[in-house]
Parts: sequence; structure tokens; C-alpha cells
Amino acid sequence: MRTVPYILYLLMIGLHVVVLREITSVYSVSVNLAALTVLAVALYKSELTAMWLGVMVGLVMAAGDPSHLGWYALMYGMLGLLGYHVRERLNLDSLYAKLLLVIGGVLLVNIVSLTVVGMEDFLSRLFTVAAAGALYTTFVGWVFFLFKEGIITLKKIKSIF
Amino acid sequence: MNWISGPFSKYWRNVHFVSVALIIIVLIYNNQTVNGFVADATARVFHAPFALVKGAVEELVEVSEENERLLQRLTEAELHIWSLEEDRQENVRLRTMLGFDPPPGYSLLPVRIVSVIGEDVPYSALINKGANDSIFIDQTVINEDGLIGRVMAVTPEYATVKLLTDPTNRVAARVADSRDMGIARTTLSEGMLLDNLPVQGTIEAGDLIVSSGLGGVYPSGLKVGTVESVQRYEEKPFCEVRLVAAVDFYSLDELFVLKPEAP
Repeated sequence: MRTVPYILYLLMIGLHVVVLREITSVYSVSVNLAALTVLAVALYKSELTAMWLGVMVGLVMAAGDPSHLGWYALMYGMLGLLGYHVRERLNLDSLYAKLLLVIGGVLLVNIVSLTVVGMEDFLSRLFTVAAAGALYTTFVGWVFFLFKEGIITLKKIKSIF
Repeated sequence: MNWISGPFSKYWRNVHFVSVALIIIVLIYNNQTVNGFVADATARVFHAPFALVKGAVEELVEVSEENERLLQRLTEAELHIWSLEEDRQENVRLRTMLGFDPPPGYSLLPVRIVSVIGEDVPYSALINKGANDSIFIDQTVINEDGLIGRVMAVTPEYATVKLLTDPTNRVAARVADSRDMGIARTTLSEGMLLDNLPVQGTIEAGDLIVSSGLGGVYPSGLKVGTVESVQRYEEKPFCEVRLVAAVDFYSLDELFVLKPEAP
């Protein structure tokens, strides 16, 4: 039963990759939901949970590219570990500190993805895809943390109307 | 799981790290069989169901759009077919009229109906020719079935025809066979009637009624209608004769105005 939420996270990432990425992308800049999920779990769960989830997320993300399966598993696994250890050492309580971790982590993942895939025009894609994607993902992460931290609740939204 | 993790509890974290490291090393060193199997399994579980649904929805949208396109084409084709059918029927009517002869002393001026006036029963019609085509008031209007009416108003480009269905439009008529005289008129409640026919006159259902030419309004010999029923009452001097009009006033198309030929 404890693994059910994580399976749901993986299904959610699969849904995003197949269906939602096209819909939610803006001028080919998309949300890196996989990295955001791994970092969110790393911020709230244990080290091993974050690491294993990262590895599984890497496998889901690279399902269409078997030759890079290992690298994606390594990248997202390391992201999970990094996120956990940064949380532990820096004791992140502030929302903005969490967002800083998210933007740094996602940017790192995007850059490594560009390197692994070996795309042309690396420098231009660094800004147009990697950095822009990190910002977009951080915005989505901000909305998530607002709900997670209880700063925004459904009750408050209903009270507006 | 304690019987597994128990002996390794001190090193449980390291066991996890080593496991992950082994998995990653196997995947990185590009064992195609293993990579292919893992990628295939992952795709089947986490990608394929959504791809299936997405494909179904896209197909549904595509089918819906194609349905709309085909519906539009079908409507256009139906309109085209209807238009062709109209042309065919007009062709048939005009071919019929090619053999249609005017009464002696008259020539035919073909005209078309522009509009018909009348809520329940049409009583007048606007035609597409007027004074510029030498049309004048009281000219007779007919079609291949019979008498339509007479011109009651004229403008340079158009003319208004008072139809026989107008209660104020009366025709001096006679029974074609027996030559008995009467006045044909139309009422809103009873339809076309033949008045002033003596009760001893020779008339029965099915007899043809034509214009008599008396009064100088309509030429003689133009079909007005056929007798539907005859009622004779001993106390009344005239029969009650109901007629079926020769012309269908609800579907008027091509008409002819009778133009008197120069003597």
C-alpha cells in the first residue's frame, strides 16, 4: 500500500509525457514534471524513497529511448539524493528556499538532458529550453507548494466567491 | 520483511545504494536485451494506456470533423440535386408549352411569376413584364392548363395579375358541350362555383367549363374548370354547381399574357 502513491506519481508522469506535455507547453517550453515530482518527494520523504523514485522516474522518462535508459535513471536518482541532502543540510523551511532548490535541480536536469541527448545548438537551447523550462517548472512548483504548505486552500478559494 | 532486512539492517542503506548502482551500470553499459525489455515493460505500463486513450480521442475528433465536412458536402450535393430537379421539371413544363396554341387572334407573351399575394389562397400575382413589354390593364393571362386571370395594374417593368381565385374576379362562362351560360366565381368558403345556370340546363359532373367571351373581358374558349357536383332544388331557379379549377393556383410558374394581334 505504501508504494501505491509512488505508482500513481509514475502514472501521472507517464500521462504528462504522452498527453499533457503538448497541451501545457508554451512555445515548445514545457514543464519538467518528472524532476519536480522527484524533488517534491525528496523534500518531504526519506533518502531511499527519493532515490528509488528518481530511478523509476528515469526509466519512465527514457522508455522511448532505450539507449539512454541508464543515464536517465542515474540523473533522476541523483536528483532525488541531491534534493534530500540539500533539504537535510540546509533545513529548508522557507517556501522560497524550496523554490530555489527546485529551479536549481530542474535546471541541472535539463542541462544534463541536453548533454545526454546531444542536441545541436546547445548554447541557444540552454536558454530557450533548459532555463525557460526550469522557470516554468518552478512556477508550477510554486503553485504546488502553496497548496502543500496550506497557504492556499480550497476553502479560501471558495470563500472568495 | 524483517527476516530479510534483519541481518542487513546495519548496512540496509548501503544495500539500496549498491542495488541502484548495479541497475544503473547494467543499463548504461547498453545491454540491448535488458534495455529493450525494461523500456518495453515501462512503456507498456506507463505510456501505452495513455497513448491508447489519446489516439482514440484524436480519432474521435478527426471523425467528428470529417463527419461535419461530409455533412456539408452532402447538403451541397442535395441542394445541387434539388436545383437540377427543378431545372428538369421546368424543362418538362416548357416542352409541354412548346405545343401550346393561343386562341385565334392572339399571340403568347411568356412571363414569370415574381411573387404571389394571398395568405391562405393566392388572389393576385406579380409578373416580370410590364408596360415596357406592351402589357396593359385587363389583358388576359393563361397557362397551358387554362385561364389564370387578368392584368389589373401595370408599371414599366412589372404587372399585377388578378387571379380567378380573387372573389371579385368573375368570368362569363359556358358549359363546353351544352353551351348553357353561367358566371364562374371563387369564394373562400366554397371554392369555385358556377352561378346563374338554370335548373333545367344540361349539366352534370365532369363537364368542361370554358370562358364564353361575353362581356369582352376574357376571350372565349379558355378552360375555366370541370364540374365537380350539381345540386338542383325545385324551389330555386338556378343550380348550385361546384367546379374544380383547371389551373392549380398554388403552383404557378410560367404564364402567358395574351397579346391581341394587329388586324
